[in-house]
Amino acid sequence: MDNINGFMAIAGANIKFSYLELILPVGISFFTFQALSYSLDVFYGNTKIENNIVRFGTFVSFFPQLVAGPIERSSNLLEQLKNKHSFSKENFIEGSKLFIWGLFKKVVIADRLAIYVDKVYEHPELYSGPTLIVATLFFAFQIYCDFSGYSDMAIGAARILGFKLMQNFNLPYFASSISDFWKRWHISLSSWFGDYVYKPLGGSRVKYIKWLRNILVVFLVSGFWHGANWTFIIWGLLHAFLYFFESWGDLLLQKFRILKIKRTVIYKFFKIASVFMIVCYAWVYFRASSVRDAFSITRKIFIDWSDKFYIGSSMVTFLLSIVLIIFLLVFQISQYKGISSLYFSRSKINPWLQMIWYLTLLLGISLLGMSSNSFIYFQF
Amino acid sequence: MYNKNFILKLIAFTALFFILDFCISKFLLNGLEKYYGLNDDTEIVLVGHSHLMLGVDKRKMERELGVGVSKYTREGVNVTDRKIMTQQVLRKNKKINTLIYGIDAWTFTSEGLSNNSHKLFYPFLNDSVIDSYVSKNSDLSEYLSKKIIKTSRYDELLISSSFRGYLGKWTNLKFGKVDVENLRANIRNGDYRKIENTDYNIEVLRETLDLLAKKNIRVILLYVPTIVLLTKVQEPAYNETIALFDAFSKEFDNVEFLNLQEPWSKEYDLFYDPIHLNPEGQSVITEKLIHYLKISEK
Repeated sequence: MDNINGFMAIAGANIKFSYLELILPVGISFFTFQALSYSLDVFYGNTKIENNIVRFGTFVSFFPQLVAGPIERSSNLLEQLKNKHSFSKENFIEGSKLFIWGLFKKVVIADRLAIYVDKVYEHPELYSGPTLIVATLFFAFQIYCDFSGYSDMAIGAARILGFKLMQNFNLPYFASSISDFWKRWHISLSSWFGDYVYKPLGGSRVKYIKWLRNILVVFLVSGFWHGANWTFIIWGLLHAFLYFFESWGDLLLQKFRILKIKRTVIYKFFKIASVFMIVCYAWVYFRASSVRDAFSITRKIFIDWSDKFYIGSSMVTFLLSIVLIIFLLVFQISQYKGISSLYFSRSKINPWLQMIWYLTLLLGISLLGMSSNSFIYFQF
Repeated sequence: MYNKNFILKLIAFTALFFILDFCISKFLLNGLEKYYGLNDDTEIVLVGHSHLMLGVDKRKMERELGVGVSKYTREGVNVTDRKIMTQQVLRKNKKINTLIYGIDAWTFTSEGLSNNSHKLFYPFLNDSVIDSYVSKNSDLSEYLSKKIIKTSRYDELLISSSFRGYLGKWTNLKFGKVDVENLRANIRNGDYRKIENTDYNIEVLRETLDLLAKKNIRVILLYVPTIVLLTKVQEPAYNETIALFDAFSKEFDNVEFLNLQEPWSKEYDLFYDPIHLNPEGQSVITEKLIHYLKISEK
C-alpha cells in the first residue's frame, strides 16, 4: 500500500489508499496456493472434483504442513486422503528421523544464527563490511535451516501418520547454477509457479523474447509472493537477471566449445561456490528491512572495512554458530555424495552409527536448542 | 514378534537417551559446581553478577590470602536471585566466614536485568529450594521439560562455564577498552540505564543480610567501579543508593561497605565497557580488595 501511495504521489494524483485493519491467519499464502492448485487442476482436467467437503478441507488445511508448506498438489495428497492408513513401523521410524533432523536444523542452528543476524540487520549502518558478510552468510544458513527444518518436520510428521508429502529442499546450496538452485530450493513453490504461471504463459516453447518475459514474470511473482515490499521484488528480479546471464553464459560456452572443463572437480566446486555467493548476495535484499538498507549493506560489503569486527553476544555463541554450520555442511556433503540418504530411507550407514547419530541430534536439541523464535516462513 | 522387536528397540533407544541425558547433565553439573565453587568448603565466597565476575580475580585472592575463595557470580542476576544464590551457598558451604556481595548503583533497580532470571537456576533443580523457586516462576510445560530432560537445563554459556570449572579457568577474557565517545553520545541521547531504587529490592537485600547476620558471617558490600560518566549523570539517585549501603553497614554489625568507585571510575582504560572491567581493571580492584581484607584482619 505504501508503494502504491508512493506511486500516486509521484504521479501527482491526490489519492491515498488506507490500510485495512485485518488480522490474517498464519500461512495464508500456503492455504491459498493449495486451494488454487486444486481449482486449476480441476479446470485443466488433471484431477477429479472432490465432493467430500471433509476430505477437501483436510487437503487444504492438512495440519503437518498447515502454516509453511510444502504446497501439496491435489493429485498427491487428496488421493492419499482417500485411502485408509494404519500404523506402520517403517513410516514411524522414517518420519521420526526426518522430524528430529528438521527440529535440530530449526532450534539448534537457525535460531542460534538468528541472534547474530537479527542484531546486525536491525542496524546495518553500525557495522563494517566483514560483519555484514558474516551476517549475510549466517542468514543464508538461517533461512535454509529454518525453512527446510520446518519442511522436514512437516514431511516427517505426515510420514508418521502414513502420508507422503513432496520433497521441498534438495541440498540447494550445492546447486551448480541458478536454474539448478531453483530446482532444489522450495521445490513445491518453484514447481507451482512452473506449472501454473510459467507453462500457461508458454514456458520455453515460445520466441526468445517471450521466454525472457515468462522468466521475468515468474520471478517477479515469486518476489511478490514473499511480501509486498520492494526488497522482495528486487530479490525476485535479481534472480531473474541471474537466470538470464547464466543462460547467455551457457550459450557462449557452447559456442566456443569449452564445455570440456565442466568435467573437472575444481570447475564444479568453483561453480557451486560462485552460485552460493551469488545467492547469498541476493539474500541481502530478502533480509534487509528496506532497499536503502540493502544498498547500504552492499556498499559497506565492498567498500567499508574500517570498523572492528562484531562477534555477537559472546565468543562462545559465535564459535558455536560456525561449528554448527560446519556440522551441517559435513552431513550435507555425505548426503550429496550419497553416503547417507537425503530423506533417510536408504542410508548406507551402519544402523548402530545411525542410532548414535540420532541420539546426538536429540541431545543436541536438548542441550543447545532455543525456543524463542518463530519460523521465518510463518509470515508468508 | 515383528512388532515386539520394534517396541523393544524403541524402549532401548529411549532408555539410552535418558541414561546419556543423566550422565551428560551430571558431568556438566559437576563442572559448574567446580566453577562456582559450590562444593568447596571455602572461607571466602563472592556472590554477585557480571560486575563482580569480571571485577575480581579469585585465583589472585587465593594466592595472596592463602584461603579458599568461591566465586558464585552469574550474568544478569537481580537482588532476589542473589538472595537465592546466597541461600544455596549457605546450604552447600559449611566453612564460610566472609561473603563478598557485589553491589552497584543499580542494585535496587528492577529494570534492565532479565525478567526470566529463574532460568539461570535450571541446572540446580535438584536443590529443593531452587526447585520451588523455579516452579513458581515458570510455566508447567517449561518446568516439566527441564525436570524430565536434564540436559535441557543447560545452554552454551553454562556448558562453557562447566568446562572452565574442570579446566580451573577463571580468567577475565573481556580484552579491550570502553568506547568513551560512544558512551558520551548515548548519554546525550538518554540511552543509558536509569537508577531507580525500589522498596521491594531494598527489602530483599535487608532479608539477605539478615540471613547472613544470623549465621554470623562477615559481609562486605563491594562496589566494583563503573564508569563515572554513568553515575555522574544521575548524581542524586547515585548518592541515595550509596546512602542506603552506608545505612545497611550501620544497621548490621556484620556488614561493611567497601566502595571502590573512587578514583578508578575515572580511569577509563580499566574498563571493557561502561560497567565491566577489563583484565587490567580486574587486577587493580583485586589488589585493593586483598589489601582491604589483609588490613581488616589485623
